[in-house]
Amino acid sequence: MAIETLESIGLFQAVCADPYKTAHKASENGRPVAGFMCSYSPQELFHAAGYYPVRITARHGGTPRADEIIQAYSCSFARSVLDRALSGEFEFLDLVVFAHTCDTLQNVADLWRSNRPEVPVVIVSGPTLTAGKPAQTYFRQELDRVHGVLESLRGKISYEAIWDSLHLYEQHRAMMRRLYAVRRARPDLMSGQDLYWVVQAAQLMSPEEHLPLLSDLVESLEAENGEAECFQPRVMLAGSVCEDSGFISAIEEAGCTIVDDDLCMGSRSFLLPEAPEGDPMDALTHIYFSRIPCPAFHRPGFDPGQHMLERAREAHADGVILLLTKFCDPWAFDYPQIWNTLEMGGVPTLLLEVEQNVPAPAQLRTRVEAFVEMIQSKDEL
Amino acid sequence: MSDERVPIRSYKRMKEIMTMYYGMAKMSEGTDQKIAWITSGGPVEILYAAGITPIYPENHAAMCGATKIADSLCAAAEERGFSRDLCSYARTDFGSIYTKNSPVPGGLPKPDLLVCCNNICDTVTKWYQELQRIFKVPLFFIDAPYQYGMEDGPEIIDYVKAQLEEMITGIGELFGKPIDPDKLNYTIDISEKAAALWREIQGMLAHKPAPMNSFDTFIHLAPIVTLRGTELCIEYYEQLRDEMKERIELGIASVPGEKYRLGWDNLAIWFKIKELSDKFAVGKAALVVSTYPESFCYQAPYRDENDKLRSLAATYIGGYINHGLDYRERDLLHMVEKFSLDGFVMHSNRSCRAYSFGQYELAKRLMQKHGIPSLMLEADMNDSRAWSDEQANTRIEAFLETLAARKN
Repeated sequence: MAIETLESIGLFQAVCADPYKTAHKASENGRPVAGFMCSYSPQELFHAAGYYPVRITARHGGTPRADEIIQAYSCSFARSVLDRALSGEFEFLDLVVFAHTCDTLQNVADLWRSNRPEVPVVIVSGPTLTAGKPAQTYFRQELDRVHGVLESLRGKISYEAIWDSLHLYEQHRAMMRRLYAVRRARPDLMSGQDLYWVVQAAQLMSPEEHLPLLSDLVESLEAENGEAECFQPRVMLAGSVCEDSGFISAIEEAGCTIVDDDLCMGSRSFLLPEAPEGDPMDALTHIYFSRIPCPAFHRPGFDPGQHMLERAREAHADGVILLLTKFCDPWAFDYPQIWNTLEMGGVPTLLLEVEQNVPAPAQLRTRVEAFVEMIQSKDEL
Repeated sequence: MSDERVPIRSYKRMKEIMTMYYGMAKMSEGTDQKIAWITSGGPVEILYAAGITPIYPENHAAMCGATKIADSLCAAAEERGFSRDLCSYARTDFGSIYTKNSPVPGGLPKPDLLVCCNNICDTVTKWYQELQRIFKVPLFFIDAPYQYGMEDGPEIIDYVKAQLEEMITGIGELFGKPIDPDKLNYTIDISEKAAALWREIQGMLAHKPAPMNSFDTFIHLAPIVTLRGTELCIEYYEQLRDEMKERIELGIASVPGEKYRLGWDNLAIWFKIKELSDKFAVGKAALVVSTYPESFCYQAPYRDENDKLRSLAATYIGGYINHGLDYRERDLLHMVEKFSLDGFVMHSNRSCRAYSFGQYELAKRLMQKHGIPSLMLEADMNDSRAWSDEQANTRIEAFLETLAARKN
């Protein structure tokens, strides 16, 4: 790996090592900070309103405060973010943004706002149905409502300002897609763990800060000559969030090369369609309705297994590892179908049930090693 | 007064109706009669107006729970890769599809179409996606956005109405037979009439002593779920209402010597419904209102006689469980007042995240703000594998002791 690449990745790694340092700094400089819960939050709107956007993440450790207000059969992501909020770890936020997704988070949003009333909580209640005219009309109205709420907090937010943010986000997403393309083509240039630092930093920094560093990195990677050595087996990682990079390194240490992902905190945040020019709210609506739907949504005709198989084939993946957060219903419902389609398509699949607030257990490594052996013996046949 | 509990006579009629309903539905399998599988909160009026037989997998799953075959069906779904943490209704029904094991001989009749409305949870969204993958038939999905505020916005009502219109047109096109608007209006009318009767019956439980209890209402809600929009449904609830009137006049109490009046939150624990009913009755506690059966007579604040479909849309946004915690708190308080409650039993239902997350907060608010104690009963509506009689009994007894101490 080139020295510049190493240095560049070191910068992103440093951001991840102290996740909210960048947001704190922005806050100290007088910029309000908006924490958002998932990739369906219309970050462009908050950014245009002047907020520094930062993703709300889970962390290692118990959740004693959250356990008092939500049952133990809630997912570890929900419990962990709630616990952080109740522990005062998000006191630097000026705004908390929820997007409507699953049954769990809809209640977490409510629990958050009733137990932490001092910071405004904005819930973007988008449609679960992401197709058709009625849903689009409704979402457009919801965006207008949120726009109004933001204006009441921050003053006038012009369409020009929203477009400026949208264009910036689009540039950033395009650059992230280039980074993923490099990763697929040349896994020898950076590890999956390295990619993760860049991806996670993208959600902890505002796009205007992340983009220049990212562009330098991508350009230096693209300038590399040579052919990729054979890295086997190539694996795609899928699931909701993956808050702990320890899972990525554990999987790679067990012998996989993670060449792509279908994660909410990963490619799902960047694999968005380009926005058509014109009305910026229509552009945001277009993105919402054209992106790959999260399993918490309904898009008629969308086949999660087929989608996963196509993604895996595009990435030339030899296998898929699904990180299923325990108690994540949307993914758990899709899993049998995804598994069947991938197996029928000749792509072996490994399900790893994970907790977002617990480090990767040692036994995970053993299971991945067995998976690697299985893929390799299949190749030898 | 005798401690002997007087059974509800209408129960027999209800069993006949339900047997007939499932029998006729099963017989129409493979004939020209179209069958739809639909969620409990789905707009069934459209199906009845179109002459389509609605089938309720949720009701079926509850039957499997009450007849104690749900555990083995859940296990069958788990063998196919469905996590044990998923909704036990969904697992029960998947298991029944795979094994054909069911209280309905041969299992539920296969659907020609599916209707899913997410006004009860988004679990049904995923459940029906899987049903569509299994049966490969059209799915009509009605998205009723969750209401985080107290008021339903007009844009939400418009959104649901537009989807209902698409469904009406879509079903007409699917079977080449447009739905007659007069028939639809009539069906909406009689559905409302049935809901009003169900509301009236539940209101009668405000009487002291209550003529029946929530364990009974859980059983007697089957027709309002499956048959609302039919004459038979009205006929049945008129009979049940008259019986309740009679019981009130004769002073027949569901729990003889009723001392405590409680509310129930969340679905029933189907495999323990009889035992729990007896347990509370022994402690002289009558459960007189429940958030769940109330959902089937939800009346939206918006109503327009000249726009029945928009009124229907407002209703299908849903009540208690499609609204945020402030709304739920208001509903619970209203129940406390109307039914003179001494406390709440909250079934923290492992299968139902939409319904259950928020209960700790609601219990806290009820106690701190209004002085109403709650019992949190950790269980599952259909999966008995984690249930412990001993633990539940201890907690119920302790709760009743608390109530006794408060009364003195």
